[in-house]
Amino acid sequence: MEREAIIKKLQSIIAEVVKLEKVELTEDSTANDVKGWDSLSHIAIIAQIEESFGIKFKLRELAKLKKVGSIIDLIIKKQE
Amino acid sequence: MINFNSTIIDQLINSFQQGEQKAFCINEIYYTYHQLSQRIQAIRYTLQQNPPLQTEVGLVANDDIDTYASILALWMEGYAYVPLHPLQPLERCLDICQQVGCETILDSSKTSRYTDFHIITTSLLVKKDFCPEYNKEISEETLTYILFTSGSTGKPKGVKISRRNIAAFAHAFDQTDIHLEATDRCLQCFDMTFDVSVQSYLMPLLHGACIYTIPHDQIKFSYVSGLMEDYQITFGAMAPSMVRMLKPYFDELYCESFRACILTAEASPLELIQAWHQRCIPKATLYNYYGPTEATIYCTSYKIPTENVKTHHGIIGIGKPFEGLEALIIDKNDQPVAQGETGEMLISGDQVTPGYWKNTTLDEQAFITLTLSGKRKRYYKTGDLCSIDAEGHIYYKGRKDTQVKINGYRIELGEIEYHVRQFYTESNAIVLAQEKEGNVQLYLFVEHTEEDPHNLIEALRQTLPQYMIPAEVIYQKKFPLNSNGKTDKNKLKTRIK
Repeated sequence: MEREAIIKKLQSIIAEVVKLEKVELTEDSTANDVKGWDSLSHIAIIAQIEESFGIKFKLRELAKLKKVGSIIDLIIKKQE
Repeated sequence: MINFNSTIIDQLINSFQQGEQKAFCINEIYYTYHQLSQRIQAIRYTLQQNPPLQTEVGLVANDDIDTYASILALWMEGYAYVPLHPLQPLERCLDICQQVGCETILDSSKTSRYTDFHIITTSLLVKKDFCPEYNKEISEETLTYILFTSGSTGKPKGVKISRRNIAAFAHAFDQTDIHLEATDRCLQCFDMTFDVSVQSYLMPLLHGACIYTIPHDQIKFSYVSGLMEDYQITFGAMAPSMVRMLKPYFDELYCESFRACILTAEASPLELIQAWHQRCIPKATLYNYYGPTEATIYCTSYKIPTENVKTHHGIIGIGKPFEGLEALIIDKNDQPVAQGETGEMLISGDQVTPGYWKNTTLDEQAFITLTLSGKRKRYYKTGDLCSIDAEGHIYYKGRKDTQVKINGYRIELGEIEYHVRQFYTESNAIVLAQEKEGNVQLYLFVEHTEEDPHNLIEALRQTLPQYMIPAEVIYQKKFPLNSNGKTDKNKLKTRIK
């Protein structure tokens, strides 16, 4: 899956979880850039990402999932 | 003699003498007791030069070294802190400042989001050599902190905790089975707006141990597991909801150094806690501690045995009262129940708050003076339904009212409903809490035609912390009524998917 396509999918997942109509993300976006994306909703976001991409993150990896770019890196690595 | 000066301040000063011993590990940076005491002195000096007009001072809970130093400096100078969470809506924090009337705020942020206050930027103060002399004449009734918890009428309510309360707590904690030592490495994984944070920093400091904190921008349960393994943590209090979040990853976490683990802030399910113990922290002894903010952090404790654990419906018992406290179960007529019967639990003793901040109505509801076997005592009504068995073990059985807990946070459903009615002024609103896959979720019902809830959620975010935002909004044109003519909450519940 292309990075561009993953970002689109992430945008809809995050918007759905934090209840925003639309979320604009770039590779450099972090939780701080999105209203409602805090440590509580992060867990729901991770669960949604795992479900829609059919992957599973490790406990230690969760700490690295703070930047959209690194989320994409991990998704690609996991899907290989 | 148990008083704030000898039980707290003198002990702290004793720890500061340890100099190069580590006091804090924050964001992977260590701070020694010497460095901590220098930060404290810098803040004390500023407070002495320019004394706040009011005892209660706002404190932005940034969770950095200056925030912790601020608390200790305020206590040494006879002030109380009112924590203001940096991630909670400004409107809510301003409401707290206004309720308290504080004019001074200690803020370690380089640029403060508070404008109309006297701000002391603690991170910019020049360090000073510590002076162990302090004012010993401060009354035991002077406050140490005010914590605001969810209020059913729509406004958060402030719980006052005095120097007497904290001294009694610290003394009683040391009488339980957990004995901290200077070699201990302790977790502090609670928000400073929540009182278990006080136990988590204060008890290690009193014993000269080191405290490991969780930065606000981290995913708590993941970061905690990293700390446990990388720094060989030995002690910590945690909420069962955090353990539940770790559950899918139990195979990835193993920490043999953990020797004492307190479960608190919520009901502890036996199965979850036993799995946590066996798979992740096999060398630890586990404890279930219970206590409302109004009775200063914890007021009962239970050392969880490996076999024959005392439970009620799979929930671990909360043990026996702390030293110096009395637990009493009463019925609807304020009469003590027969042994083993369920009723509301009352707590009396030196850990019980002097009351709510400027709210006599609430005080009248929450405190009661009873004369039993000739003794007159003031009790706090916890709202928790409990029973006590023949051996004196207490069991938690549920709430009397609509207060719920999410991830350990106390939430009055009425406070959320109040803010929804500020948005839909013509409509009724009901919030119900329901368990979903082991986690409690909030469902908001609005008596209104179906529409997009985005604007409503946006408005709620302006005033409520994230953990109070409903997971789902369900519109219903007309609420169903039960035979008493009241909204039928059970029928509403059937609409939850």
